[in-house]
Amino acid sequence: MDNSLLVSLSQQLAAYRAMDVIANNLANVSTPGFKREAAKFEEYITHTRPAEGEKGPQSLSFVKDAGVMRDISQGNLEQTSAPYDVAIAGKGYFAVQTATGMRYTRDGHFSLDANGNLVTSQGYQVQGDGGAITITPNDGDIHIAPDGTISSVVRGVGNQIGKLKVVDFADGSALTKQGANLYSTSQTPTTPATVNLQQGALEASNVQPVIEISHMIEVMRAYEATATLSKSQEDMMRQAIDKLGQMPS
Amino acid sequence: MRALSIASTGMLAQQTNVEVIANNLANMNTTAFKQQRAEFTDLLYQNIQTPGSQTSDQGTYAPNGIQLGAGVRTAAVYRITTQGDLKSTGNP
Repeated sequence: MDNSLLVSLSQQLAAYRAMDVIANNLANVSTPGFKREAAKFEEYITHTRPAEGEKGPQSLSFVKDAGVMRDISQGNLEQTSAPYDVAIAGKGYFAVQTATGMRYTRDGHFSLDANGNLVTSQGYQVQGDGGAITITPNDGDIHIAPDGTISSVVRGVGNQIGKLKVVDFADGSALTKQGANLYSTSQTPTTPATVNLQQGALEASNVQPVIEISHMIEVMRAYEATATLSKSQEDMMRQAIDKLGQMPS
Repeated sequence: MRALSIASTGMLAQQTNVEVIANNLANMNTTAFKQQRAEFTDLLYQNIQTPGSQTSDQGTYAPNGIQLGAGVRTAAVYRITTQGDLKSTGNP
């Protein structure tokens, strides 16, 4: 097999991978707390036997996956006016208790379950400083302060219900995505110095559709260029075979 | 091709979003109607290379893994129960 065809193939596989990541970004353009990702590639060098008339091993570079980089920049805060929607402005994650352990999320759309516990849209309990947060119908209108303190005023008397737990990690881009807007990690959570929450808002996805589409076009162009390269390589081989076949014996 | 099926989950989600918004608009003059909002979550991720996996015997680790997402789905359409304006009708 010809080397240039293999090199083009490695580039085309990389383009497929890049396209998958871009498609996932675009699909999640309205997912609260979603962070966009970008596929990164690296050069992979192998050595081949020297061609005729050349000395020393020749290097051949392919492309291979290096990783998927997550852009953990802040998304826009979007007003929803729902009392249990909380957006994190700045760093931090909400802690959520699932059957498989503690998970973290930046999607602050919470609601109450049948027992009055504050839960995510999948029904996982949101953690306060002292475990689950329970809000009863008698609590009236809920106020969530920027530091996460949940309180209400019942018949003129202030009543503190709990405090949302917000944690942070040394390396935010090394969290593993679990789907359902949740992240998992083996890192030890730390308490951020300042927490800035906003009630009645959600952090929108930080995907910008126009930029994603221009990336998509870029990947398409690279793919097409490589396809043209493979095609011309193939034409060259075909011509060579044709010409050799016509040579008088 | 995965990219097309991933992108199509996004189109389905946006379709739901437009339907919810259309229903809100249609009920603009409905008495005591509460606004609804569609909420989305990402689908499962396929792990090609887990973040934090070791890359050499010198103890170096990959800071970012390779996780490929499968798209998006509608998680909930929830009702925002804020108080609406009170309108005097003159009806005893």
